[in-house]
Amino acid sequence: MKSATSCLAEIESHRQLADGIYSLWVKAPRIARSVRPGNFLNVRVADGPDPVLRRPISVCDVKGWSVRLVYRVVGRGTRMLSRFQVGSEIDLLGPLGKPAPRPPEREVVICGGGIGIAPLLYLVRDLVGRRRLTVFLGAKNRSELILRREFGSLGLRPRLATDDGSTGHKGPVTEPVLAAAAAARHAAVVACGPRPMLAELVRSLDPVPVWGFVEERLGCGSGICYCCALPKKSGGYIRFCQEGPVVRLNGVLL
Amino acid sequence: MTYSVRIGGTTFPNPVLAASGTWGFGLSFRRVSDRLGGIVTKGITLEPRDGNPPPRIHEFPGGIINSVGLENPGLEAFRRQVLPAMDKLKCRVIVNVAGFTPGEYATVVGRLRSRRVDAFELNVSCPNVRTGGGAFGQSPRMVETITKAARSRTNKTLIVKLTANFVDPVDTARAAVNGGADAVTLINTLHGLALGQDGRPFLGGRSGGISGPALRPFALFCVDRVAAKVDVPIIGSGGIMSGQDALDFMNAGACLVQVGTASLVDPDAALRVWLELKQTVPGSRASAWEDIVGRTRRFD
Repeated sequence: MKSATSCLAEIESHRQLADGIYSLWVKAPRIARSVRPGNFLNVRVADGPDPVLRRPISVCDVKGWSVRLVYRVVGRGTRMLSRFQVGSEIDLLGPLGKPAPRPPEREVVICGGGIGIAPLLYLVRDLVGRRRLTVFLGAKNRSELILRREFGSLGLRPRLATDDGSTGHKGPVTEPVLAAAAAARHAAVVACGPRPMLAELVRSLDPVPVWGFVEERLGCGSGICYCCALPKKSGGYIRFCQEGPVVRLNGVLL
Repeated sequence: MTYSVRIGGTTFPNPVLAASGTWGFGLSFRRVSDRLGGIVTKGITLEPRDGNPPPRIHEFPGGIINSVGLENPGLEAFRRQVLPAMDKLKCRVIVNVAGFTPGEYATVVGRLRSRRVDAFELNVSCPNVRTGGGAFGQSPRMVETITKAARSRTNKTLIVKLTANFVDPVDTARAAVNGGADAVTLINTLHGLALGQDGRPFLGGRSGGISGPALRPFALFCVDRVAAKVDVPIIGSGGIMSGQDALDFMNAGACLVQVGTASLVDPDAALRVWLELKQTVPGSRASAWEDIVGRTRRFD
């Protein structure tokens, strides 16, 4: 893999999609050319040493020379990111991580929960026409069920679930996924969302292969600090900035 | 004019090194490694180590706390698989060595005879393992014993990376010199603890090591203090983010510096530090560093 470099990218648009969820388009030709589904960018949110580290954000979409990041404000760093203005420049390191493998199975069930919906869009764009896809999206409520229109424009009709029942199935997105996947024993699942959601999918669908985006505290994102350890079932750890962030969840401890 | 610095039998083309544990084995960013004075590898132990459970990193304003716990492939896998790949590096290679007994340090050092290894840095100060490491670094007697044990097995340049956790590094620096060290690195991370809201330790290894800019003033103090009292070349380390920071450490008495945490933010950081440092040198002397190293004490 070619080693990543940092670059300054101009912010083309930056808007709120839902409470605490933002969409950021940046003009970054080098990244747009080379980024693959599953890759992430490490975003610098401060000039000085507070916070010291960058914030890793998965790529949500690519169009021409532009790259889209959709993120949720979860702490100080992402709050600082949310204040970046259109026209200003932002320091990006990437693309980082290993591209998500295309599952060999003909049929792929996609499951996105909350902000985990974001990186699945670019991944699904790559799989459309190559695999038979069924997409499930879940969130707390209707307004946080982001990117529905974008999935729709790919010719897909995502099945929806909300915790409060404001749209689609009332309850966790795993419920309709499990009901559907029971009928599709030869499918693979690709998921992104909170850990309990991923763990539930792996446990209930076993031995169906479940590929998922994993989140863990990152240091560098480029494989040199060994901080992002994910325990393997067989013992030891993987560095998911090198072997992930999309990994076969059946082999790791969630 | 030359920018090179000589320590023991090793000549470094410039004084900026990538610090251990923040640069892997120098292979991910060769375009940077090849232009540095040298790189220090991740700590190598006799046996392979999985490292600590996650989370391994915590952030606070001005720094980070890590508890990687010396994850490494162990001596044999390093020798057979990693070292040959490092052949293509054009920079000096310092292998960082950690152990749990003086004999382990000696064995690892003794078995790494490859010409690709220019020097060793004995890590007597890793705070992230329960025995050995950091505890050794707090005892001048142990530092001397470990250094002697390693010295007896190699003629390569020998550096001892010291801690400032609960010990005066002047005492351990003297011990390292008595044991036959060619230089000391000051300082390794300091102990740190991060807690969750419920009071539970945040890091998988319970506590960790503080690094980053927050460490810098204390590290600088340690370099200045040891430089005044012990006649030994010092490699300065602790929160260096810019050329000016590197210059500060050299003024305080360091003849080389290491860039660590800054590389996690930007893989080009160590190279940028070197290029910025180079800009600050007047260029009128045979050695660029003649008027710089230890300049601070002239103001006493």
